Amino acid sequence: MEKALSEEKTASRKRAKVKPSELFAKILFIVCACLSIVAVFGIIGYILYGSIPAFREIGFFRFLFGTTWQPTHDRFGILPMLVNSLIVTLGAIIIGGTVGVFTAIFLAFWCPDKFHFQYKGKNEFLKKLIAGINKINLRTIFDQIIKVLAGIPSIVYGLFGMEVLVSLFSGGSPIGGKGILTCSVLLAIMILPTVTSLSKNALDAVPEQYFEGALAMGNTKAQAVFRVVVPAARSGIISALILGVGRAVGEAMAVIWVSGNRALFPTGLFSYIRTLTTNIVMEMGYATNIHRSALIATGLVLLVLVLIITLSLNLVPKEFKGKRGDKVLNGDASATYVFRKKGTVCNVCAIFGMVCAGLVAVILLAIILYILISGVGCLTSAFLFGEASVNTPTLGPALLATLELIGITLLIALPVGICAAIYLNEYAKKGSKIVKVIRTFIDALSGVPSIVFGLFGNILFVTALGLGFSVWGGAFTMVLVVLPTVIRSTEEALFAVPMPLREASYGLGASKVRTIFKIVLPSAFPGIATAAILSIGRIIGESAALIFTMGTAFNFSGNPGGAGSSLAVLLYSCANEGLHMNEAYALAVILLLLTLILNLIVYFIQRHVKKKR
Amino acid sequence: MNIFKKRAPAAEQAAEEGSKTNEKKHATLDIFDFSGENAITVKDVDLYYGEFQALKNINMAMPKYQITAMIGPSGCGKSTLIKTLNRMNDLVEGCRVEGEITIGGLNIYDKGVDLSALRKNVGMVFQKPNPFPMSVYDNIAYGPRTFGIKKKSTLDEIVERSLKQAAMWDELKDRLNKSALGLSGGQQQRLCIARALAVGPQILLMDEPTSALDPISTGKIEELCEELKKDVTIVMVTHNMQQAARISDKTAFFLLGEMIEMGDTEQIFSAPTHPETERYITGRFG
Repeated sequence: MEKALSEEKTASRKRAKVKPSELFAKILFIVCACLSIVAVFGIIGYILYGSIPAFREIGFFRFLFGTTWQPTHDRFGILPMLVNSLIVTLGAIIIGGTVGVFTAIFLAFWCPDKFHFQYKGKNEFLKKLIAGINKINLRTIFDQIIKVLAGIPSIVYGLFGMEVLVSLFSGGSPIGGKGILTCSVLLAIMILPTVTSLSKNALDAVPEQYFEGALAMGNTKAQAVFRVVVPAARSGIISALILGVGRAVGEAMAVIWVSGNRALFPTGLFSYIRTLTTNIVMEMGYATNIHRSALIATGLVLLVLVLIITLSLNLVPKEFKGKRGDKVLNGDASATYVFRKKGTVCNVCAIFGMVCAGLVAVILLAIILYILISGVGCLTSAFLFGEASVNTPTLGPALLATLELIGITLLIALPVGICAAIYLNEYAKKGSKIVKVIRTFIDALSGVPSIVFGLFGNILFVTALGLGFSVWGGAFTMVLVVLPTVIRSTEEALFAVPMPLREASYGLGASKVRTIFKIVLPSAFPGIATAAILSIGRIIGESAALIFTMGTAFNFSGNPGGAGSSLAVLLYSCANEGLHMNEAYALAVILLLLTLILNLIVYFIQRHVKKKR
Repeated sequence: MNIFKKRAPAAEQAAEEGSKTNEKKHATLDIFDFSGENAITVKDVDLYYGEFQALKNINMAMPKYQITAMIGPSGCGKSTLIKTLNRMNDLVEGCRVEGEITIGGLNIYDKGVDLSALRKNVGMVFQKPNPFPMSVYDNIAYGPRTFGIKKKSTLDEIVERSLKQAAMWDELKDRLNKSALGLSGGQQQRLCIARALAVGPQILLMDEPTSALDPISTGKIEELCEELKKDVTIVMVTHNMQQAARISDKTAFFLLGEMIEMGDTEQIFSAPTHPETERYITGRFG
């Protein structure tokens, strides 16, 4: 009897055994998910490997703490640039952090869905105008403003900084205006979207009951927001600021034209500086031997700095755990006191939030208007349709190179990213250790500065694998750049697929893999399309990672094995020496329009999904 | 800030405008005169959520230093009514109140009534305990601080007194720096009562304060209410009829937005005049 039972058990176990195809799919998904770990270690490994000659010849401490950088005299001390990077970042986070957080507070609590203007006059035109204004959804507009700001390519910010900010800060002098303050302001603008959108998410996540509780005690709205809700969102806001710091430290292309490019310690707000990132971009093109290794080592310092910043995110306490020590009360029983209505400070803060949000809108408007006004006239037919040569840049080759770059990158990054997301959302247990590890590495990968990706691609794909400057090299590098974006957006889309859909499929006897491919992925299609478009945006806007992997040639044969400039890189090479400024402006217009179009597409996809639900 | 309103009910806007003129007159926030017999008088109150009428011609009076319980099946309007008493309903978009609610001699829906002053005098305890993510001490000192008390010894005094008043002093005096979120549900709710008491309210509104709690914590809160009514008037919404019978002095029965009957608790539970009240308290519906 017992024997029969146990036989039956083994039989059922045999039947429950996973089919080889299922197992193969699962392994594939796991491998893709773990690719981010491999990528991070690969980047660290290769950059470290490339830095070793520099450390051996120069000495680690003389490199890190040396105060002069004179490659021609074999002096490689990066301390001034390290200090400059940190100061500029500090400035950016003070300005951009304040504006970003207050903008987020305004958007979360005061920004109206709709205006409620009233017009009682008889003028028909005014009546229609007011009715039209009342239809505008201000929140959606601000949402889009933040997204467009996030999507504008670094190099376009750089152009804006060089032409507008520098002359704004120069006070009329022809040589002034560059340096620490200008860099800080430009970086502040660039980290605004990160800080604002993440802070807003944190504020939105605070339970409504805290707000109600504060109001019920006699708080004004501003008091409730600033004294209870904002402190309750503290950890999220701190994380947003930390990510902003990471972004500012690693930014290269935006500051390259506004820093002044002198590897010295700063002496004032307008003293010319060079940061770690710009040091690499400026010299990597011609550096050899020890000089090249020293630049890679600069990248290593940058990478370590950014990894420390990203990892410190995990140290931010998620919730309030109490204060240290004991509180002993020293009450004064005879005290007399009167409660008075307060809250002026909070009201002022609320108004400041509104001002900051207005400022953000004005900044975006200024950038768009400036680029369009100065660029539209440069869209000549010679540039758009002309033949490129060694000395004349035209749109054609760059467009072709960019399209090939996008195609190859997505062909690799999308399948890998989707498989990784499938593993994280469909297979892994929620909150398990491996998921946490993979997530940490995805975060780390997304925090790696573009220029470090560029160095890595240069060492591995261009040099070690012998691909040379080529679209292949650029595309393989970009796969790593966009992978975190693809994984995260896909994961969100998969997460939004309702569980009952899967259960219905299982209920009909479908296997897990079949369910994923026939039910889950098709339902998540709009989300995956969004991931693809976001990646395209990132690829179009990227320059620092491509200069040393794809090259800066004006000509492009169409063969992905050859070198060519992407649109953003072409903008860099056109403006860098000031020889082709008209072409640079034309490219800025094109990049800006592409950014706006991609944002619109994402907006309509998301609206479509929302309506369907 | 007035041009941008996330939720813009006319009432709040009116009150905010009014608060500016009132601020000078009543800087101390003591705009109410509670010398009368009734703490709250509700007269001819209708309440609408957009088109839907949630309260129909409510008339009632809550006597001073007594516990008034409001009972009735879900959706009968009792929670809606309690939220009109400190104007928390202003937060609900499309909510409109007609009629008069007089507290301490003032119609609280008059233009020019300071919401801060109203809510300081009419405290509220919610269904789900909502201590702020701060230390126990900071939770209780929160209200006084927002009303401008900065001196440490004064704050210490207020915290100690409020905790003693809420019968939590012995439990919490050694845990004042601990996070309030680490307390048990029952402790959190009593902490919220202490927090409300710290700003010296005359009236305490409790919206199903024990529905999320276990029987022992419920008992403690009921005991506390008995103790508190020496100093404050309590209005309580409850789903639990035994609770209303045990602790309240007056009971009001609501059905479908109307107040069916109100009277001494003993009378309501032993000899209700209305057949629907009887059907509800004997458990035949609801």
